[in-house]
Amino acid sequence: MTFSALLILVAGLGLIGWLVAKAKAQKLNTGRGAMHSRPGHHAWNMALWIMVPALIGLGAWSNISPGLVHNAVLADPAAATLPMMDMERNAVLSDAYALAANPNAAVFNPDAQKLVGAVKAAQTKFGLIGALITLLLAFAGGAYGYTKITAGYPARTRVERVVLGVLLIASLLAILTTAGIIASLLYETGIFFSKVSPVEFLAGLHWSPANGSFGAVPLFWGTIFIGAIIAMIVAIPLGLMSAIYLTQYASAQMRRMLKPMLEILAGIPTVVYGYFAALTVAPLVRDFAGAIGVANPSTESALAAGLVMGIMIIPFVSSMADDSIAAVPQAMRDGSLAMGATRSETIKKVLIPAALPGIVAGVMLAISRAIGETMIVVMAAGAAARLSANPFDSMTTVTFQIVQLLTGDQEFDSPKTLSAFALGLVLFVVTLALNVIALRVVKRFREAYE
Amino acid sequence: MSKTAINWQSPETAKRLARRYAAERRFKALGYTAVLLSLTFLAFLLVSMLAKGVGGIDWQFLTSSDSTDPLNAGVWAAVKGSLLTMIVTIVLALPMGVLAAIYLEEFAPKNRWVDIVEVSINNLAAVPSIIFGLLGLAVFINTLNLPRSSPLVGGMTLALMTMPVIVIAGRNAIKAVPPSIRDAALAVGASRVQTVFHHVLPLALPGILTGAIIGMARALGETAPLLMIGMRAFVPAPPGGITDPSSVLPMQIFLWSDEVDRAFVQNTSAAIIVLLVFLLAMNGFAIYLRNKFETRW
Repeated sequence: MTFSALLILVAGLGLIGWLVAKAKAQKLNTGRGAMHSRPGHHAWNMALWIMVPALIGLGAWSNISPGLVHNAVLADPAAATLPMMDMERNAVLSDAYALAANPNAAVFNPDAQKLVGAVKAAQTKFGLIGALITLLLAFAGGAYGYTKITAGYPARTRVERVVLGVLLIASLLAILTTAGIIASLLYETGIFFSKVSPVEFLAGLHWSPANGSFGAVPLFWGTIFIGAIIAMIVAIPLGLMSAIYLTQYASAQMRRMLKPMLEILAGIPTVVYGYFAALTVAPLVRDFAGAIGVANPSTESALAAGLVMGIMIIPFVSSMADDSIAAVPQAMRDGSLAMGATRSETIKKVLIPAALPGIVAGVMLAISRAIGETMIVVMAAGAAARLSANPFDSMTTVTFQIVQLLTGDQEFDSPKTLSAFALGLVLFVVTLALNVIALRVVKRFREAYE
Repeated sequence: MSKTAINWQSPETAKRLARRYAAERRFKALGYTAVLLSLTFLAFLLVSMLAKGVGGIDWQFLTSSDSTDPLNAGVWAAVKGSLLTMIVTIVLALPMGVLAAIYLEEFAPKNRWVDIVEVSINNLAAVPSIIFGLLGLAVFINTLNLPRSSPLVGGMTLALMTMPVIVIAGRNAIKAVPPSIRDAALAVGASRVQTVFHHVLPLALPGILTGAIIGMARALGETAPLLMIGMRAFVPAPPGGITDPSSVLPMQIFLWSDEVDRAFVQNTSAAIIVLLVFLLAMNGFAIYLRNKFETRW
């Protein structure tokens, strides 16, 4: 019997148990206060008693049984002729498994045909044992649960304890993801650093993984230049001024209309921005570079990628600035206006200085988003790792290199692929640090005005 | 205090006032320009995509799959791949996200563990998407040996990315349900679990769903993590199930944008229009949900 069929069977038994328990509990429920818990809770308690032990048994068995099947097949007389080499033997065996599952499967080893009978026999045998164990557990659990349907049994408390456990597990998934990210990055980076020294990686000036030189400084520079300098030169003035206009000058009606339109910018997928940067902005930048006398301007330039990235970040900066300006107490604004300052003077001399910590934190979050951005730089920034302050040069970033190193054919433990994880770790640590600092600044800033 | 009052009519003060008012007008114009400039970029982007792509959208483009010949290539395989991926994502991320939000908002005690959970959820929401791709590659493909390029792995990776978004939206929605509702339920003898599942959750559901749809829209447009797990294969036939090799819509755009043949420009722009229409529909639905079911307490 297959795994999914057993799963459905257990669910069916659970349903039957639910109905039976409900009927019995309803009979017991003779009037007000006759029972500790409502019949529904007894029903759920019964269903859980049937399903949980059975599912645990099924899960455990499906982990053990492949090993048992494997041993049984090897013990079969037909397996005596198998090659001694582990790799060849496993190849024949996996072909035999494929044939057992599907008689028409294409296989390479003719020997496998002989083993099909043994595989099928072993699979049937252990499958039946598994089914028996599952059913036994289901009925044992059900019988125990059934004896618990009494007027005094606290079914509600028991069921809710299970519900709380499930809730707890769901919230632990977040920790598990974080731990998974950190563990997998650290593990691969550790292997990488056993082959390439961390000092060379973090301080080397030459990046050329194909030739075995892993100095990542040009990548860090490219990332900072595109994400933290060019993009911010675009995004900070536009985002900040937009936020000021929308919160301080625009009428309520205009604000209702313009703000969602501005937020569309944040909702456009990055691959669309990348295409726009490569197809439309990059040639414009190249022509512009040619016009101001740059020799051999390339189509892929840091400027094109940075510009488009800046546009993408505008709504982000603007909404953070919006929040922090709104958090400045009304009394400060009123005070300034009452002293005769104009609105722009109030904004420049009172609101912005007061909101500055929040705005700075917003910019930090924007930078952390910009340096983690991938598709725009992959499509528009180029692959050349160089240390240059010329925005018309082609430049590469950390994210671009991660994509470059991990796509296409790869063997998994070469330093080339492993270096992608080291770059990922650097990216993760930097964005995490920016976020933690920014959130702390915002929190302290909020507290200052509360 | 000087005894002589300021003469507001004197030429100097008038000039100074005029200067200040001019600065005021300049500042306002600057703000207006910033908004206008941002929106011009948006309009430029959308119009240039529309102009290049709208001619490429026809029935044949929507129903056929990828091909090396730009005239026969279509988006159906990619749309179906996106659909399967999104189904996997929502099936995993929505229940997990909602349950985690309920726990953190309603049941979690105040201790160090819960603080760690909260901090890691907030940080996960800000981790670059490509990092989730690295996680998917290292865990789902290299450790668990799940099929490469499949909607299953893509959906699982995107679910990890979407879950924090749903948790945060869910917590805000649950927080917005007034305590009086809980008090009333508890007062007539409901347990805390009953209170939450019978009363708080139904009231918070529109808010949770709005957040979930917005998170899904973001996942639908995501490309970088899927590049990491190898969903960039040439897929000439639509995937039959969640374990088949498959492409997704943004990935199709990326692959076509790399083609040398100029005829693919129209295809790429047309695929972008299809993607944007999907995103617009999802966001529109989210806004509709919010407006229809939003309750002000």
